[in-house]
Amino acid sequence: MESDEEFYELYGEYVSLRELGVCTAVSTALAMLFFYIAPGIAGLLNVPAGGLSITLGAVGATVGFAISLFLARVKREVREV
Amino acid sequence: MDPVTVALAVLLSALSCLLYIFIGILPGTDETATMAPVALTLLLAGVDPLLVLVWFVASIVAFKTADSIPVALAGIPGGVMAVPQVPDALVAKEHGLADTVLRKGIASSVVGQFVALVVALALSYQLMPAGEWLRTADTVLGVKVARWFWLILAGMVVLALTSRSRWVALLSVPSFALLVQGLRSVYGRPIYISFFLGITIGPLMFDLLSMLHRELRRSYARRGFKEVRLVRVGRISLNPLRILTKEELAHSILWSAVTSVLATVMSPVGLTTLIGDLLRESSRDRVKGAVLAYTVRDAIKNATYVGGTLIPLLVIGQPSGPMTVGPAAPFFTKLENLGMTPRDYIVSRYDYATIAVSLLLASAIAFLVAYPLLVRYSRSMTLAVFRRVPAEALYGLFIAIAIMLAYYDARVAGVFGTLVVSLVSGALWRLGVSLGVIFMTLVAAPTLVALLTALPL
Repeated sequence: MESDEEFYELYGEYVSLRELGVCTAVSTALAMLFFYIAPGIAGLLNVPAGGLSITLGAVGATVGFAISLFLARVKREVREV
Repeated sequence: MDPVTVALAVLLSALSCLLYIFIGILPGTDETATMAPVALTLLLAGVDPLLVLVWFVASIVAFKTADSIPVALAGIPGGVMAVPQVPDALVAKEHGLADTVLRKGIASSVVGQFVALVVALALSYQLMPAGEWLRTADTVLGVKVARWFWLILAGMVVLALTSRSRWVALLSVPSFALLVQGLRSVYGRPIYISFFLGITIGPLMFDLLSMLHRELRRSYARRGFKEVRLVRVGRISLNPLRILTKEELAHSILWSAVTSVLATVMSPVGLTTLIGDLLRESSRDRVKGAVLAYTVRDAIKNATYVGGTLIPLLVIGQPSGPMTVGPAAPFFTKLENLGMTPRDYIVSRYDYATIAVSLLLASAIAFLVAYPLLVRYSRSMTLAVFRRVPAEALYGLFIAIAIMLAYYDARVAGVFGTLVVSLVSGALWRLGVSLGVIFMTLVAAPTLVALLTALPL
């Protein structure tokens, strides 16, 4: 899994700006989508929307994280010594 | 507590533990950026604040135990608090003692957590009457100033003076306070969450936006993948009493007790560095000193997080140090859905015994989950995380949560306000100002600006 590509060091990790942009966009879009549909779901369940918006928004961001696992490559080369 | 609440506490402790083992092992995960937004989200979602505190204490167990595992195995810190352990781990690794420091670190975390819990709870119980005195306000220059403000100011000055760039840190305090109060007057509301998140992701956002600048980008450029060397470890006993020597156990107990109290106003990472370095230098044998320092630092990491959270929470009622203005800040933030701060909710709705038992239960459950997992599978978990989780996915997740919470706080203006605050915080951090100083300025900003404008100059 050798690579000669150029990456950028962020918080001690090597990242691709394009992949970071895609992962951030996917997680943010899903977080906001879930955040916005929450009041509708709250209405159906007859519960306050505020708390549910945040909960579903966090769920959306987490779904985005799970999808991002397949959208970005790992840039660590692990050697067992 | 009723049986349902107890069951929820057990469930949340176990879930928090599993989540933060994973986050702890991941390199480069900042504690405030990963612990505070999740706690804040749970609080805003309407989860009982005591249960969120249970979640938080369990996350301390898991995070502070797991973040030193990649240090022991690969010399890479899993979080900011694990950075001081890197030189000790490298010495141990050179001498084939990676598995020794790994198991000693995990065992001393157990010691640090429970010693700090007992000390912080006992001390808080004795000091609770002082809380009322600290919350009383005096009039200074025509401004009502609560007495805890002076504690924050003292802590802020100490932190500023110990920053890498002390003059910039001191100068940044009034300037940053004015920025925060200026934005609050634009919003017309005492916004806190957006600014807090802005500071939390400040270093990340500053570096990220610097990379969009063609010339600055060059300094971040790296070619090829990052090489990580992972050492092999032998079979480790599950019995923690067989892992630590008497000297290591005594130092872990002593320094956990002392630092859990000092962390009320002092920096956890500063204390971990200071005490560990003192122990390492006091030993004539370089390897023995490194192993002792690594072990005790792991105990101090847990102890400072527990003491730095609980003493201000139970006694002072206001954030007083880097821990309570950082990872534990959500408990001191006034939330609209509660009509008060989660801290006030906890101390007004629950008696001392319930709080104490809940936190001891959370720690016990978290260790029951984390300890066997980490002792038995630390290497395979580290390998799996290093090989399967790209950094971009994790950074994307935290940026998304920050954007959503900023939007929730003050809509689109909140998102851009967060961006401004994060850029200024990130720039100050780059200039050598401790993030603790910036967090404390955020808490003290209303009084600081009121006093500044009331000065007869």
